Amino acid sequence: MIVFRNAFVSRTRVLPAPFSLKAGLSGRAWAFGFTLLIVSYLVIVPLITLLYASIKSTEDKLPFETTATTLSNYALVFSSPATLPLLLNTLLFTLGSLAIGLPLAIIFAWLLERTAVPGRTWIASLILVPMTIPSLLSAIAWIQLLDPRIGLVNVALRGALGLSADTGPLDIYSLGGMCFVQGLRLVPSAYLMIAASFRAMDPSLEEQSAMAGRGVGQTTLRVTLPIVRPALLAALIYFIIVVIESFDIPGLLGFTARIRVLSTAIYWATHSEVGLPDYGLASALGTIVLVLALFLMWIYHRLTAHQERFATITGKGYRPRQINLGKWTLPALLLCLIYVFIAVLLPFVMLLWTSVQPFYAPPSMDSFGRATFDGYLNIWRDSSVVRAVWNTTVLAVVTAVATISLSVLVSWFVVRRRRESGALAGYLATVSFLPQGVPSIVIGLALIFVYVRFPIPIYGTLWIIALAMTTRYLAFSSRTTTSALIQVHGELEEASQMAGAPWLRTLRRITVPLLAPAMINVFFWVAVHAMQELSMALMLYNPSTVVVSTMIWSMWQNGRTADAAVLGVMLTLLSALLLLGGQLLSYLRRNSYQ
Amino acid sequence: MIRIKDLVKSFQGAKGEVRALRGVSFEVSKGQLFTLLGPSGCGKTTTLRCIAGLEQPLEGEIWVNDRPVFSASNRTFVAPEQRRIGMVFQSYAIWPHMTVFQNVAYPLASGMSRKEIASRVEQILERLSLGGLADRLAPNLSGGQQQRVALARALVAQPEVLLLDEPLSNLDAKLREQMRFELKALHESLNITTVYVTHDQEEALALSDQIGLMHEGALLEVGAPTELYLRPAHRITADFLGTANFVPVQVKSRGNQAWDEMVVESPLGTFVARRSIEWREGLPASLFFRPEYVEFFDPNNSSNNGTNTGIGIIERVTFLGNSADVVIRCGEIALRVRAHPTRTPAAGKKVHFSVAPEFCIVFPASPSAGRLAPSPQSSHSERTKTLGE
Repeated sequence: MIVFRNAFVSRTRVLPAPFSLKAGLSGRAWAFGFTLLIVSYLVIVPLITLLYASIKSTEDKLPFETTATTLSNYALVFSSPATLPLLLNTLLFTLGSLAIGLPLAIIFAWLLERTAVPGRTWIASLILVPMTIPSLLSAIAWIQLLDPRIGLVNVALRGALGLSADTGPLDIYSLGGMCFVQGLRLVPSAYLMIAASFRAMDPSLEEQSAMAGRGVGQTTLRVTLPIVRPALLAALIYFIIVVIESFDIPGLLGFTARIRVLSTAIYWATHSEVGLPDYGLASALGTIVLVLALFLMWIYHRLTAHQERFATITGKGYRPRQINLGKWTLPALLLCLIYVFIAVLLPFVMLLWTSVQPFYAPPSMDSFGRATFDGYLNIWRDSSVVRAVWNTTVLAVVTAVATISLSVLVSWFVVRRRRESGALAGYLATVSFLPQGVPSIVIGLALIFVYVRFPIPIYGTLWIIALAMTTRYLAFSSRTTTSALIQVHGELEEASQMAGAPWLRTLRRITVPLLAPAMINVFFWVAVHAMQELSMALMLYNPSTVVVSTMIWSMWQNGRTADAAVLGVMLTLLSALLLLGGQLLSYLRRNSYQ
Repeated sequence: MIRIKDLVKSFQGAKGEVRALRGVSFEVSKGQLFTLLGPSGCGKTTTLRCIAGLEQPLEGEIWVNDRPVFSASNRTFVAPEQRRIGMVFQSYAIWPHMTVFQNVAYPLASGMSRKEIASRVEQILERLSLGGLADRLAPNLSGGQQQRVALARALVAQPEVLLLDEPLSNLDAKLREQMRFELKALHESLNITTVYVTHDQEEALALSDQIGLMHEGALLEVGAPTELYLRPAHRITADFLGTANFVPVQVKSRGNQAWDEMVVESPLGTFVARRSIEWREGLPASLFFRPEYVEFFDPNNSSNNGTNTGIGIIERVTFLGNSADVVIRCGEIALRVRAHPTRTPAAGKKVHFSVAPEFCIVFPASPSAGRLAPSPQSSHSERTKTLGE
């Protein structure tokens, strides 16, 4: 779900300062040190601890309980007969999801950005709607639709095809089902990313080809696609990471089918149904995923840095020429509508339906009569739900505030101190971006190792979850505030200094108000992600720190489907409300002075 | 009063270290308007930012009103917010989320009563003809108004020194001229020590008490506008400040001191000219004079004795309204002449012209030859010395 601009890392060298400033350690210097320390602590410590754990811990011991160094965890991973299927599943799951998600995203991006399909703006908004549904809930909704026995679609298909079997024909609990649900999940964010590159294209490049006598088809193949190819390649790499990191969908669908991928294997190694948690295995698997994801992140980074040479983005507000599809207009529109029906409407309606049924029944006149919103009231009688909602609220607010505060500091030093403190600013830029390539489940795992024995007593509290999420979302958040700060002319801050304001006052009265539109957006984005996030919370929660996402997960595991759907619908609506509210606030703020 | 001594500053560029300032020294006496003039990248803005404290030099000293604000040897660095300096930025840097009043009141915030702040702000807004705009948001102002707000904000706290970084460069031509007059009037009434940075020579000539011409990180020469314009000590100054004619010459007789008269032989004829500080025996020389000091004369009705005169054919006349830009062809050489817009002979006509010896200066033929010669500081002192004689 993370869409971000080109990462940039400062490559300037530091000049040796001629002497330390007599102004002493100013507020700014303290803040710089503080930022460096916090960011290093958040990002570097867990990663080092994970590596350490993978060579120290054993089947039943935590890393700091033994002194022996061992490679047995890796040996175990690579010699186990379970490993090959695990890697194969991960590979197939990744390829399958991308094969479904990316072509759809590319087609929609092209249709909606470059052609004259009627109702473009509406369709474009509808495509983005699934972003507000937590992926855990899309998995639940698709189970309601495609469960081999009771799934609505299966029941309908059996009726229509006159099949006598009481299962099938489709089975969601399979690798294919996982790929299908995950693939559809990728479409909104992939669409955003790819549409942006179509939009950024200079139309005169295409017009030039048209002037040279080439038709639409030739122009698209020989000009348009080569130009957006780097962006497509970057999106491909980026979404490989997203799928490898994905936990909710393979966790829920693969649980029943016993199909495990790397991310869920880490979870089940530490939350074994039988026997004790195997931290040694988990940390070895975690390290493997980490190395893989960081490697892909590095490639992504290289690609997007290279992409700037293709930069066709200017500040001009032109609108590329729209291609008239002629007789293909209707099929294109139909394709869009079918997609919106299947991927957007169907799961949400199914979720809504499940939430108003006391026990599950397929839609019929009978069950329609039983529909009741009592579930939405009754659920509050469960004290653990109340606790989960309260915990989630605290978690979302704390994570969002912590992330955005840290991001503003990081961005300020990365952008404004690049010349004076080049190496440190570059380090800050790199380290704050690193979590982008660290799967959530790995952060969760690493933090268990860090805090189970660490003198800071936050293990088993809500704070450890907030810490994990702050680390994870720092990358997106600081990237966004950094590109916003680049837009703020440095002289605006210097004018405040010349007016006698010290660093902190300048930051408070000039920088932060000018960054407010971006900060508001990031705040709500992080809050919504923190509310929906499952894998980190699942690794780090206990009964007193239960949050809504883990609540839904355990409700589902315990067969409380209707309750899970009720919570899910409320979470979805709240997410949509917050994201829209954030956009609106940010828009109003920007417009107040532009 | 501002005193700057041996300022050195370098930046880390894409191709390694770039020396932005190579030992810049000058003084601005109290109430003076001093202009740093030069092409972009010459170090003038860097110098200004060093005075402001926004850049930290590697070496040197900066004094503002007898107070050291920077000294490399004493390890002194006063933070910009503590220097009591007003500054107007090239982009104006008006805070877009604040009203004009809030922008201008910002430097006053600490320890002043609400009422006093209001009256101070009102006063300075009136002074800059911004009365009635106090509640406007900055983006709703025109370019000229933004510029005035920036000035008001820089002046409201009554700073000891005012720094102006290309303040007029973002205005259109008409407004620029108007603001130039207003700035001059403002400076005369406030009498505040000012350093002004510009690449526009007209602005520099019109506004300054003293101009410092910067070139490649060094202060080449300092002088009053007329001095610098009429008697540039360096070929670079002559070239940068206004339009220049350079004619290759052979030296016939040399004076002993700078500004002594010397006799040179040029393709145009024999010229009596002044000897520049830069000129060195044995180097190829060229004769410099400005287009506006070339006068046409009638050879049948003239007291000209043949020196400092030439004959040529009018090649092109460009009408500019208040004058005409004329090109005279004298064999290999094309001369630029600034002439009367209507009393100029037509193209193709043969003309006689003269240039008075006091407006002719002999320089080394190539600018690089000059750079082997004196260092910026010594040329400055040499200049003051010779002028004193």
